[in-house]
Amino acid sequence: MEKPELRYVFEFIPKLLSSLHTTLLIVAASMALGLAIGVLVALPRLYRVPVLQRLSQLYVSFFRGTPILILLFLIYYGLPELLKLVHIDVTRTPVLVFVILTYALHSAAYISEAVRAAVEAVDRGQTEAAYAIGMTGFQAFVRVVLPQALAVSVPVLANQVIANLKDTSLAFSLGVMEMTGKAQTLVAATRHFIEAYVSLAAIYFVISLILQKLFQIAERRLLKYEGPENAEPSLPFKERRRRRLFGSSAMRLPWKEARADEA
Amino acid sequence: MIELKEVRKSFGKQEVLKGISLKVEKGEVVAVVGPSGSGKTTLLRCINFLEKPTSGEVIVGDLAVAAGRAHRKEVLALRRKTSMVFQQYNLFRHKTALENVMEGLTVVRKLPKAEARERSVRLLEKVGLGAKLDAYPSRLSGGQQQRIGIARALAMEPEAILLDEPTSALDPELVGEVLAVIRNIAKEGITMIIVTHEMSFAQEVASRVVFMDQGTIVEEGPPGELFARPKEERTRLFLSRFAPEGSYSI
Ligand SMILES: Nc1ncnc2c1ncn2[C@@H]1O[C@H](COP(=O)(O)OP(=O)(O)O)[C@@H](O)[C@H]1O
Ligand SMILES: [Mg+2]
Repeated sequence: MEKPELRYVFEFIPKLLSSLHTTLLIVAASMALGLAIGVLVALPRLYRVPVLQRLSQLYVSFFRGTPILILLFLIYYGLPELLKLVHIDVTRTPVLVFVILTYALHSAAYISEAVRAAVEAVDRGQTEAAYAIGMTGFQAFVRVVLPQALAVSVPVLANQVIANLKDTSLAFSLGVMEMTGKAQTLVAATRHFIEAYVSLAAIYFVISLILQKLFQIAERRLLKYEGPENAEPSLPFKERRRRRLFGSSAMRLPWKEARADEA
Repeated sequence: MIELKEVRKSFGKQEVLKGISLKVEKGEVVAVVGPSGSGKTTLLRCINFLEKPTSGEVIVGDLAVAAGRAHRKEVLALRRKTSMVFQQYNLFRHKTALENVMEGLTVVRKLPKAEARERSVRLLEKVGLGAKLDAYPSRLSGGQQQRIGIARALAMEPEAILLDEPTSALDPELVGEVLAVIRNIAKEGITMIIVTHEMSFAQEVASRVVFMDQGTIVEEGPPGELFARPKEERTRLFLSRFAPEGSYSI
């Protein structure tokens, strides 16, 4: 290992950023796909569809309980074998596709749980109003329930995006040249470990910050319909959001309680 | 226009509607009164199958739907012939006043956007909310929300409107504005069934009053008769609570 020198950090950062697009592609594509799969996986449990409901539960347990690295290997090596059985050849499919699929399936497990909770938190009267004007179940779900559920799920989705961002650092184990993979090659070429990983950490950190900020803006936009409520005019925005998600029963955070006592 | 034949509804072991038969003619305004828990809400909700009756038959216009073999398509058709105004307004909270009224027109009736918009604006102006088209429900008072709820119900041009205690969630000072809107649409000859505790209002707008208790219709008649000379002891008892001696001594 070489003696650490700061100038390497400045040298490495632009080099690492040249692989940023791969990292972001994995995150964006897996989130988009994961959101779609997540909603689909949530449906059988929301509508209590007999057999599918159990399958969806199994899906969630499996993808939440298995380390993502193992999922990567399982899907990259296992899926082609499975598909061979039905005579589909995926040997020419880029690795990136398997990586995106893995992260999508993994996020979908978390997303489906979030969407399910959020959908159940939407007031029953909303669906009834939709039915009363003659909407079908599908129309009521897509037009009325889902938009409200997704709006309150934004913080959970934001967490998932950040988690995916960090998890992309495992994709290099399949040889995908995203940022962490790039860092490995820089290390191999220069032997400046510390600088490479400091640069890498700085980039992940800054991107996370930017994403969090963007999601805050998105959340404010999506929930702009939640103005001051007439019944509870003094409740701050976050408290109202919390109540919608978790009900109005007190779930105080201990340090907040302490502060309230002092006052 | 609307007819219920021997409609029964049970929740588990509890029978909430015990064979209700009721006929409402076109243009009639029927007020349903009765103590809380007597099944008034359930009765309304059985008409548009928000609750599926356990047995009996619901007829709206030319469509007869039997509880036992109600097909999904029939239920949808039934709901498209009726509109409902809810006690808790139930406006789509992620949509503006205008979008709330337009929603059914564009999504259910498949009207072109421009036409839906034009009709919705007209209705919102009619209920006095022409200046609040782009406001979200959370920014509006209960009275304003309920008037939007009524506009939304009218927009669908239903054969009948079902109103479930439209003013009972409102602050007293907001009741008047909503009753005024309902009074106006009653004058237009729209068929309405309205569950209410506003007895003087029922007396004024209803062509007929139905008194329900414990899942049955105890008696019905023109408001002048039913309120002034109830035949049944149960009706008398119920009404006596709404005309206490105090009301004369102001
Ligand atoms: N979804 C339901 N599940 C179980 N019981 C219900 C349900 N809806 C209403 N009930 C019961 O049915 C009875 C009549 O209720 P409701 O129709 O709301 O009466 P009202 O509108 O006259 O006050 C009440 O005892 C109520 O508890
Ligand atoms: Mg009721």
